[in-house]
Amino acid sequence: MQPGATISLHMSNVETIPGRTITASLGLVTGSTVRAKHIGKDILAGFKNIVGGEIKAYTELLMEARTEALGRMMLDAAQRGGNAVVNVRFATSSVAGGAAELFAYGTAVIVEQE
Amino acid sequence: MFEFLNSTPIWLLILYGIVFLFSAFFPAAFIYSMLFGWLHESKRTKKLISREQRIAAIAGGDNVHTLSSPINIEKVSSAGLVMTNITVSPSWWQLFLGNIKSIFGGQIKSYDNVLAYGRAEAIQRLREQALGEGWSEVINVRVETSMVMNKVKGGQQNKIGTLEFLAFGTGIK
Repeated sequence: MQPGATISLHMSNVETIPGRTITASLGLVTGSTVRAKHIGKDILAGFKNIVGGEIKAYTELLMEARTEALGRMMLDAAQRGGNAVVNVRFATSSVAGGAAELFAYGTAVIVEQE
Repeated sequence: MFEFLNSTPIWLLILYGIVFLFSAFFPAAFIYSMLFGWLHESKRTKKLISREQRIAAIAGGDNVHTLSSPINIEKVSSAGLVMTNITVSPSWWQLFLGNIKSIFGGQIKSYDNVLAYGRAEAIQRLREQALGEGWSEVINVRVETSMVMNKVKGGQQNKIGTLEFLAFGTGIK
């Protein structure tokens, strides 16, 4: 599997994929990424802070980064031969000033249509 | 009266101008935040409530819940992960109130409002995204809160920064 290839597996955050049966479990799979926004957007976000509320630049950045972390997790699962990831969880931490680490993990499984 | 203008070099005047702008900007922004922050806040809240009512009318009740099995659907044909997020931050005035309140302890109302708004908005976006992607129900919804993008430096560690709310669940149809 080439890195960066777009793959799409079944995903859920419950113990099973609803409507399908799990035939094999392949263990823990993880994906993570660290992102920072460029300084211009940081300054604009600082202006937005004056009246509070949503900061769209950060919302987009974090969603993009989380999608990438999920993609890496799916790549990991696909390399193990799974076709689904169950019980997906997320963790977010602020690692350095202005940067955030997004982490996604779950259990790779093989599922079959019922 | 303006004789000093002729005797001072131009670069020094520009420097004075920049220093003046910066020193005037922060108090002005703070006063703006104090006087008009509530206006922005009530506008956001009103919009959120009207969206919640619209979704409730379309979905005929709530389409998200935290149980791990479906309530209304008997035969599930497909499932997938649904997630939405929002980052919010308190206004300067709310930060100021919060800092003062945290000296004495007790409930900090200004942060309360920001957090309640952020969480409600994240869940509302989950409902809208689920409808948009065609899921008829979202099961096992979880909401996570984390602090992001704040500068971790010495005494600044306890300061509230930008908060991120993430809502995710399994969409089924």
